[in-house]
Amino acid sequence: MKKTTRKPVESAAPKKGLTRRDFTKSTAAVAAGTSLGIFGGVAPAFAQKREVHHLAWNNFIAPADDLTRENAAAFEKESGIAVRFETINQNDLQARAAAAIEGGAGPDILQLHWNHAHLYAGGLMDHSAIFELDGGDAVYSYQQEAVIVDGVPRGVPYYGIGNIMAYRTDVYSDLGIEVPDTWDQYLTAGTKAKAEGWPFGQTLGHTLGDAPMFCYPLMWSFGGSEIDESGKVAINSAATHRAIDFMKGAWEAIYEPGGLSWDDGSNNRSFLSGEICTTANGASIYFVARQKNMAHIADNMSHYLFPKGDAGRFCMSVPLSFCIPNYSKNQEAAMEWIRYQLRADNYEQYIAVQNCYGLPRAPGLEDHPVWNSDPAVSIYAQVPQYGRNFGWPGPFGRAASEVQSKYIIVDMFARAVQGESAQEAAAWAEKELKNVYGA
Amino acid sequence: MSTSALVGETYRRRLIVFYIPLFLFVFAMLFPFFWMLITSIKTDAELYNRRISPFLVRDPTLEHWRMLFQDTLFLQWTWNTLWVATVSTGISLFAGVLGGYALARLTFRGSTVFSVWIFITYLVPPALLFIPLTGVMSFFGLVDSRVSLMFAYPTFLVPFCIWLLIGYFQTIPKELEECARIDGATRVQAMVKIVLPLAVPGILSAGIFAFTLSWNEFLYALVFLSSPENKTVPVGVTGELILGDVFFWGPLMAGALFGSVPVAIVYSFFVEHYVSGMTGAVKG
Repeated sequence: MKKTTRKPVESAAPKKGLTRRDFTKSTAAVAAGTSLGIFGGVAPAFAQKREVHHLAWNNFIAPADDLTRENAAAFEKESGIAVRFETINQNDLQARAAAAIEGGAGPDILQLHWNHAHLYAGGLMDHSAIFELDGGDAVYSYQQEAVIVDGVPRGVPYYGIGNIMAYRTDVYSDLGIEVPDTWDQYLTAGTKAKAEGWPFGQTLGHTLGDAPMFCYPLMWSFGGSEIDESGKVAINSAATHRAIDFMKGAWEAIYEPGGLSWDDGSNNRSFLSGEICTTANGASIYFVARQKNMAHIADNMSHYLFPKGDAGRFCMSVPLSFCIPNYSKNQEAAMEWIRYQLRADNYEQYIAVQNCYGLPRAPGLEDHPVWNSDPAVSIYAQVPQYGRNFGWPGPFGRAASEVQSKYIIVDMFARAVQGESAQEAAAWAEKELKNVYGA
Repeated sequence: MSTSALVGETYRRRLIVFYIPLFLFVFAMLFPFFWMLITSIKTDAELYNRRISPFLVRDPTLEHWRMLFQDTLFLQWTWNTLWVATVSTGISLFAGVLGGYALARLTFRGSTVFSVWIFITYLVPPALLFIPLTGVMSFFGLVDSRVSLMFAYPTFLVPFCIWLLIGYFQTIPKELEECARIDGATRVQAMVKIVLPLAVPGILSAGIFAFTLSWNEFLYALVFLSSPENKTVPVGVTGELILGDVFFWGPLMAGALFGSVPVAIVYSFFVEHYVSGMTGAVKG
């Protein structure tokens, strides 16, 4: 290395023509200038166009999202308000909603599922004006409960997604099995089908939809419930024990044993692969079979309501709601866009385009021709009348949501089919529920 | 014992302790790629037919590839991911080299505590940071901009790079640098001309790791980006190809396969440096 006189860098003289101060000034000016362009600087207010950013899930029925985009274009022509309609995977909606509300920035309309409006109530505006204008009192109670928090609507119900039994008509016919009306008949049918190599499929995993949407109605139809009407924990009852005992017996007798680890898509895959002949699901299996030209499945399948038990027949339907956050600077425009979508003609078209996959928010559309257009799925029209929410018959609040998020009811059944007695499983659930409800 | 017997014993020994484990390792590493490839070229009818071997493709189709490239913005997502990963890796390496060198070489009060804090920072999960970071990005007007990720990713990449490079710089003998200083080099010159050339394998290792972490990152990309044309591969592919409880396995696997190609290319360019980076700077 060439020997040089050592000069500390810190004391090196600045180059002629560019002092440190000049450099600081120049970079500050460049940073300020470029930040306007790079960082999405805001245009002057008079030049701003009114825009609503609407976040929703990827509707499984793609034409439904296409229709929303068409409606958005028509709405923009009519009102001058542009709509940016963004769709994402349903499992990611909550992360986006949490970040938007806690961070105070994001979409002007969040589509929330279940009762997530309760979870973010503090960050959502009072929707009273639009809720009442659009027939809020007329919508199904399970839809209303999803958004009304302490008497204040924190969202507007949009539609629901039902979950009932999908089954193979050819298998039932070949084996001489009638569509079961009660859980006992269901058990008999499943036992016969499994003996012939056609098990039923049911997940007891931590899935967003299929596991809780089966376990809760099963428990209710035997008379069990997590809490009573006053909100007191009531899980450890003889009725719940009967429901658990039913599931313990059924697990061995009729189900595909891998179901303990299934996700929401596993039963779809097994049904479409011809491994199972019955499973609880939305209408997506049927529509996939149609879309993918799997006629041997689509032409030989249909649906039936969950069987009834001593306490009646129950189903679950996911309520989907429009929710406008407090931070939105476009609340008026967002409400106009919601009104436009709920306008009778637009709403009817939206429900119709989903071919019985989406359930209307209020009674009255059950007679629409779409419900008779395809007998394989027309039974879904009856789902809302049997629809209940988590926590029923108690309130559908944050605690009920927490119980569902922790999969306490699902795990109660899962623990039982893995060896615990009904009493042990219910006692475990009772302890967990008391931690949540505090009583 | 005859020579042929010895050769036979050596061969058997190598077979058991080397070739069989190597084969199992290679099989385990490559099997996911094989699975992604065959799934992406099977027809839907084959995908859902469990009565035929899942390892063979009877009637190959490029329909899923077509869907991925024509019906989604996959190429745009790939470009976004590449751009974001490259910039955030560059920023992180720059900060990582300076920070790592300072903490490895300079003695100042609190340097040890500072090193530990950097490590702790690295351990903070992004799931805890994404909500406050959303507020920060919103404040700076960066929401729905790829720039937001270029600033967000260094929050976990810089601590990672610093921590990795501290260890690497410490393996380079101080004497080499001291010789340069005796010969008149400034600290910066000694660092740039002596230490950094020796540290290239370590820097490349940190860079490859940082690039891969950026490439695969999901949560920040999900939360900060909303326009389809701004999304990255992990978010775009799962967002567009999973509808409700329906997974479009063919295009999903094609997306996973093609999405891993750029990372594989980066690895292949730097694999020799990467390996030497794992084994220290100067071998005695």
